[in-house]
Amino acid sequence: MNNIEIKLKDLVKDLFAGEKIDVLIGYENGSLPLRSRPCFVHSAGEVDRLVWNSYCTNNLAVYLPRIFQRQEHKKEETPPPRVGIIAKGCDARSVVGLLKENQVIKENIIVIGMPCSGMIDPAKVEAALDGAGPYSCQGEVDGSLEVTTSSGEKKRLKREEVTAEACLECSHPLAEGADLQIEGEPKEACDERYEKIREFEAKSTEERWQSFVKEISKCIRCYACRQACPNCYCKICFVDQTKPRWIGASDELSNVMIYHIGRIFHQAGRCVECDACVHACPMDIDLRLFTQKLVKDVKELFDYVPGLSVEELPPLWTFKQDDSQSFITEP
Amino acid sequence: MLQGLIKKEDLKKLIASVKKEGTFYGLIRGSEGLSLSELGPDDEVTLDYSNFKMPPKRQFFPFSEVICTYEDESMTDLPLSEEKAVIFGVRPCDALSLLYLDKIFIDEKFTDPYYRSRRDNSLIISLACREPLKTCFCTSVGASPAGKKGADILAFEVKDSLLFEACSEKGTRFMENYPAIFKKPGKADIKARDEEVSAAEKRVQTIDLSGITEKLQGCFDSPLWEEISQRCLGCGVCTYTCPTCHCFGLYDEKVELKGRRIRVQDSCMFPSFTLEASGHNPRTSNEERMRQRIMHKFRYTVENFEDIFCVGCGRCISNCPVNMDIRETLAEVIK
Repeated sequence: MNNIEIKLKDLVKDLFAGEKIDVLIGYENGSLPLRSRPCFVHSAGEVDRLVWNSYCTNNLAVYLPRIFQRQEHKKEETPPPRVGIIAKGCDARSVVGLLKENQVIKENIIVIGMPCSGMIDPAKVEAALDGAGPYSCQGEVDGSLEVTTSSGEKKRLKREEVTAEACLECSHPLAEGADLQIEGEPKEACDERYEKIREFEAKSTEERWQSFVKEISKCIRCYACRQACPNCYCKICFVDQTKPRWIGASDELSNVMIYHIGRIFHQAGRCVECDACVHACPMDIDLRLFTQKLVKDVKELFDYVPGLSVEELPPLWTFKQDDSQSFITEP
Repeated sequence: MLQGLIKKEDLKKLIASVKKEGTFYGLIRGSEGLSLSELGPDDEVTLDYSNFKMPPKRQFFPFSEVICTYEDESMTDLPLSEEKAVIFGVRPCDALSLLYLDKIFIDEKFTDPYYRSRRDNSLIISLACREPLKTCFCTSVGASPAGKKGADILAFEVKDSLLFEACSEKGTRFMENYPAIFKKPGKADIKARDEEVSAAEKRVQTIDLSGITEKLQGCFDSPLWEEISQRCLGCGVCTYTCPTCHCFGLYDEKVELKGRRIRVQDSCMFPSFTLEASGHNPRTSNEERMRQRIMHKFRYTVENFEDIFCVGCGRCISNCPVNMDIRETLAEVIK
């Protein structure tokens, strides 16, 4: 057990002992290699399930709106729970966004910031093993991931080569503004992040459209991207509404596109680039290309970075006379 | 049982011959990863994979299809598929799943003509598994790496060749059609196959499912479902990538009196799946939806069709964004 994990468990035990929280959202070991998964801890006795390692990819803030949403179907009204949540930089920024949008009760939440050094992307590991089949992982040694393939071959993969894209380009690895911090050394913030987006922007309208079509046509309409995103908490998503019906039910490209355009544009000024949608997608659609483009646009047009301050008004909530309008006439 | 040996490089000849009468589907690795695609003689057939992402049900039960069009008072059914297809490279677990889907769509009383026409016109050549994944548990649910159920022909990789074994009349007829392509296998080939098969079978992880249906009959109101479903995000990955999930919805898309009716796959994990016209929804939470999914596969289908509708392919495990593992869920139920 690593040092950070020990500190975390002690802290959570104290929170339960002091009756500060009713539930803690954290990570436990998953059933597959390189996989930790969300878990819900309800008492001090369960705290030892918690883990902290390089596989804690999920954005846990996704569970908050549903925890705090009034349970209309339940006959008895129960008071909202007091929730502790383990937060990487991105999770913490999502919590800030949710607080701003009144999806989280401020008094009922304790954010525990983790020193995040970036998460491993299992897809990159599989690619690095070049389809060598099932593998097991022995953990990290000297900045490398040790894996054994099914044929018994041991391989060392450099950490940065198998780190998730979102983490490589992460601008806020530390959960600033968290209520409690677990001390440790987070990775350095990355400032040089938009290389791919600039390449995308340099393309012609037609080429950009074709990139969009190529990616989106892989979609199977499972809505994993929507469900994994902390920002997607609408009670009834526009794609599920029936009166009026905004979008057809088939997998024809025009329908799939309307869904994605709708989802992506709703992220403007809200997306924290955690890539929960990217990791959730079973079809490996590069959704990051589109959400990150929006993040860049919002920064450039409105000088706004989501998820950093509860007080600062997001650009789509407000109108200032000197707001940029360049995009309105852009061809 | 008819057996025949074909050099891997000669698959191209087989593809070219089949192309004269129909379509040959096989696995190719393209820019979008591995997928079942229409092959030409020049395409490189991939044999090096554990399984492919989207289950073969999509060949027979596409995600969405127009089933009829209408205008004023007249309605026109869409013509049934007449495409003759050979589908090569399906894994034995997935081939078994087709027999389960047949029970749903080709029933004595109600037969789905769209599904049936595609099934009747297709020949399935399964490819036996050599390298089961960590998420595979086929041998615990009646399938196996070299299972024949659902296949017309079962193929085995034997060194630089493929050993074809006919498993149905249709498969036998197919092989008899191409006498020049198949050679008689030797004893060494059969032995090599047997060794591969037993090695693969040993590598499949097993789970104990004894009494699962009875257990499920007694736990409809168990608090277990709430506990298990807590981290479920409520997306459709498990159902859409499942080879046996077959629920669908019908939608009319019309402008004034002209329109079309389409059939679209649906998922019991979506709230809209059970939304009633009144606005009432009898399954309001993840917990109830997950219970339904497990009950349907491991209890209701056993009661109705005497089969567990799971073939142990593990797609729901490997694709789940929050690592819901059906093996663990079932173990919790049995506990």
